[in-house]
Amino acid sequence: MRYLWWLIRCQPWRVLRGSLLGTTWMIGLSARPYLIARAVDDGLRARDTRALAFWVAAIIVAGLALSYVGTMRHRTMTFIREDAKARTAEVLLRHLSRIGAALPRRIGAGEVATVGGSDINWTAEVLTLTGPGVGAIIAYAVIAVVLWSISPLLALCVLVGVPVVGLVVGPLLRRLERAESVYRQQQGALTARSGDIVAGLRVLAGVGGRDLFARRYAARSQDLRAEGYRVGAVNSWIDAASVAIPGLFLAAVVWLTARMAVTGDVTIGELVAVYGYVATLIVPVWFLLEGSYQLIRGRVAAQRIADLINVSPDDVGGPGRRWPGPVPDARRPGALDAPAGPADLHDPVTGLTVRAGQLTGVAADDPAAGVALADRLGRYVVSGTTWGGVPLTGVALDEVRSRIVVADHDSYLFAGTLRDILRPTGGDAGGDEHDRIRAALRVASAEDVVDALPAGLDTPIDARARALSGGQRQRVRLARALRTEPEVLILIDPTSAVDAHTEARIAERLHAARAGRTTVVITTSPLLLGRADLVAHLSAGRITSTGTHEGMLDYEPGYRRLVARGSEDPDIERPADTEEAYR
Amino acid sequence: MTRLPVADRRTVRRALRDMISRHRRAVGIVLALHSAAAVVGLAPPWLLGTIVDEVTAGAGVATVDRLALAIAGCVLLSAVLSRYAQYAGHRFGERAVAELREEFVSRTLGLPVSVVERAGSGDLATRSSVDVATVGTTVRDVVPTIVIAVVQLTLLFGAVFLLHPLLGLAALAGLPSIVAVTRWYLRRATPAYLTEGAASAELTETLTTTAEGARTVEALWLTDDRIRHGTAHITRVWSARRATLALRTVFFSVVEASYPLPVALVLLVGGYLFSRDIVSLGAVVAAALYLQQAIEPMDRLLQWTEQAQRGLASYARVLGVGMVPPEPPGRTATSQGERLVVRGARFSYSGGPDVLHGIDLEVQPGERLAVVGPSGAGKSTLARLLAGIDAPRQGVVSIGGCPVTDLDPAERRRRIALVTQEHHVFIGSVRDNLSFAAPDASDEQMRSALVSVGADWFAGLPDDLDTQLGDGARQLGAAEAQQLALARLVLADPHTLILDEATAALDPTTARRTERALAAVLAGRTVIAIAHRLNTAHDADRVAVLADGRITEIGSHDELVAAGGAYAALWRSWHTHADER
Repeated sequence: MRYLWWLIRCQPWRVLRGSLLGTTWMIGLSARPYLIARAVDDGLRARDTRALAFWVAAIIVAGLALSYVGTMRHRTMTFIREDAKARTAEVLLRHLSRIGAALPRRIGAGEVATVGGSDINWTAEVLTLTGPGVGAIIAYAVIAVVLWSISPLLALCVLVGVPVVGLVVGPLLRRLERAESVYRQQQGALTARSGDIVAGLRVLAGVGGRDLFARRYAARSQDLRAEGYRVGAVNSWIDAASVAIPGLFLAAVVWLTARMAVTGDVTIGELVAVYGYVATLIVPVWFLLEGSYQLIRGRVAAQRIADLINVSPDDVGGPGRRWPGPVPDARRPGALDAPAGPADLHDPVTGLTVRAGQLTGVAADDPAAGVALADRLGRYVVSGTTWGGVPLTGVALDEVRSRIVVADHDSYLFAGTLRDILRPTGGDAGGDEHDRIRAALRVASAEDVVDALPAGLDTPIDARARALSGGQRQRVRLARALRTEPEVLILIDPTSAVDAHTEARIAERLHAARAGRTTVVITTSPLLLGRADLVAHLSAGRITSTGTHEGMLDYEPGYRRLVARGSEDPDIERPADTEEAYR
Repeated sequence: MTRLPVADRRTVRRALRDMISRHRRAVGIVLALHSAAAVVGLAPPWLLGTIVDEVTAGAGVATVDRLALAIAGCVLLSAVLSRYAQYAGHRFGERAVAELREEFVSRTLGLPVSVVERAGSGDLATRSSVDVATVGTTVRDVVPTIVIAVVQLTLLFGAVFLLHPLLGLAALAGLPSIVAVTRWYLRRATPAYLTEGAASAELTETLTTTAEGARTVEALWLTDDRIRHGTAHITRVWSARRATLALRTVFFSVVEASYPLPVALVLLVGGYLFSRDIVSLGAVVAAALYLQQAIEPMDRLLQWTEQAQRGLASYARVLGVGMVPPEPPGRTATSQGERLVVRGARFSYSGGPDVLHGIDLEVQPGERLAVVGPSGAGKSTLARLLAGIDAPRQGVVSIGGCPVTDLDPAERRRRIALVTQEHHVFIGSVRDNLSFAAPDASDEQMRSALVSVGADWFAGLPDDLDTQLGDGARQLGAAEAQQLALARLVLADPHTLILDEATAALDPTTARRTERALAAVLAGRTVIAIAHRLNTAHDADRVAVLADGRITEIGSHDELVAAGGAYAALWRSWHTHADER
């Protein structure tokens, strides 16, 4: 609710204008029946041509004015809603961009999709109440006064009757909406199936089974049709009732008024006008009814948005506060000083020391242990890791992030041109930047990826780069990480999806490109490890041996088994019984 | 990229006529019922006019009672009639939409893969989701609304004409400006609304992806970049909304300003006719009320025309898919033997430079051939030629002496299976995901197929073969999906298998184990494995090294290592071992 207030307070004048226009428009709606009634009474019935001409002119002028006010109202309200949407989107965007690694732990991406896709709109719709909502109440009051002047009895009937009709018909329509939503859900599932078939077309082309899929789809389509019949049978009754009930009410009012006309309590013109008023009164009543549902839905939506905004970035850099002693507030000044220049990283958990300026290869028996190691070295969790002797957890997070970069093997590729993806820090597009991108692409052996794209670096890539192959994506990720040119670069399995030829090339170029800078490669590829200054074997949670790749191959059988995926590995026996199991 | 075709106006019109004539009876009933409902719906204002006349003439309470009761009766009758009209229309819509989407899917399934790939699968995906849905909504909701509105308007204006032709003419006063502005609006509206929709979808996607990639945002200091990117999208949404608002501003103001014109003119003309006693006062009042009543259906009609226009555009795109000639049936159904021969094969993608430069290759039945080479060497293209998905531009790819592309497609797929690294898991159960490869397979066979490709995770599934997979159900990881694809292959049991990086998503050890298990199961089958891991090559009977679209080396692993070429060098760097140095 506070959030909704904030959205209104951001645009007070616009909201005020919306209320004024909304009120004028609503009242204006009842002007035409009144004017028509005067034209009938004073002009036609009295056979007074001048009066007729006068009232007809008034009808036209009022119509023009109403059209102007109506359009302005629509414009103002649209601006109010759009302002709210844009403001919310911006707040969310800024917030989501800042939370960082803590976000996935707190909230699912699906939830963000709901907030971004529909909650923003629901919240903005509530603001419609500020215009026509206010207008509806005032218009209702004005019509009440006019009717009262004709006949208090009639006024009472109409003023009570219209809301009652609204309250009867409203829930009926909600039911209709609900039945529809079940149908739409099924329809969505069917659409998903046809999308599924399109996506799997290549698989079907490779293995066969098209007829089966066509038949399955047709069966489900027929189910949906049957469901559609059922929904239609019920909905058409509800629809008919929602027209008949107000119609019957109108008939009752006409009957009452006509009897009064017979007795001379009201004039013929007033009889016609009452008919018009009742019809126009339906508009504000509808607005109020709709508005109350919007308010309910909008409050829930605004609550979800507020919840998302309340998710705060993680100061300590990890879940839980298992760090013994107080954790320094890393985002504020006064944190520990980071080493001024390149320094060694030490991880006490595994016993690994990463020498500054060297390329360290880590071969982990358990891939998860390798990822956990990278998390500690990059300070994504609270740990005892030191950097040049300083506890890493105590250093300002911003400084850690800008100097130590961890490149996950599944790091996210955002939508944009390839150039945008590779220019993450927002550098200008000058020649220097272009050269650096080219250099990074060369090291990642990804030049062919660019060459294969229709517009080279300026080709738009969709999120997750789904159009690229696994190997291409991996090389783009690697190029992006290299392009940040950090002091310490930690790469996790950077070449697992790349063919051996390319991998050999990357290993060679990576070594040259990162010469003199600290680099950690977590991998079991002999090609990459062979280029490392120092390799370490991470087994059962500890570094069991370190040395050069060649030396380790000779003297460390565990390392050899892990890394040399060669012909003679005795640990993989031929599963002779498999064939029997299948036959 | 060659986009899929879009049906032209004539084709769309013909298809519409066909649809209507197929459901002639239903359409007739719907129109008749709606007309009846609308005719009855016209009575209340006319009865009110009568009340006015009667009361003016000094009628008593009894007359008023009678007439008021008649109004109520008309309201009820009209409601009942319109209910049945709506229901009949609804059924017609459902039937037509079901026909349409089933036709679309069966056409889609008949498309040659190469056509879909050339068009980009995004195009087809949009048609199957957005366009089919748009046509569905149009047929189900928009067309009925428009039909009702048109019927009501026709009758309302007709009624005014019946009251007096001159009144009828006066009633048409507002139409010219409305027609003109509607035409103006429709020309611009659809692209503007599509832009608006696309812009807001992009904004939602930006927010979602920012959340999905939150860790990457932090790791690579992308915060400012994301904010800049998102702000650009917000600005785009804002200006797209402004553009549509500008269109509506013009449209609504002209339309609404036109509404009082017929009422005013009818009153003036009516006043003149009444003064000459040509029409009664009640007739003039009724005419004015009819016109007031016409505003609502008119609004509805105008609001939905834009939707209807969009529906037609989507319909043209849906029909377009049917215009692609389906995969041609093969010329021969059989061939002698399973020997795979490639002679002088050259290939280029849609007129581009050649990707393969004269490939010569013979694969004996039961042989295992590994194809290795750097990315972009043409390995996957060769796989597609061997599987008959593409035909070589020059030269021939034949199996048992018969060109593979001449085989009947279903027969070809039964004999030569291609599994790529693209691992699609279909929505449905595990059984659904396996059975289409071998419809006759028993549950036991499916389970052992899964076991044979090392899919250990299968044992942990809650509902065995009935476990649902896909969005909102059990999501398979890349490795699991790949094993599922391999199990499918085991079930299909083709003579010739082409594995294009089929184990790339598995970790090296699992990949190795899976490949060996698969080899045991598929003993005696011809296997052509394209691989980036050299141990796959080591296990094969022969290895072909592909570079720049040519086979540069071919022979057994030992021969190639002994020959000391590029393969040997690579093998040594991959498999550095103290003994070998």
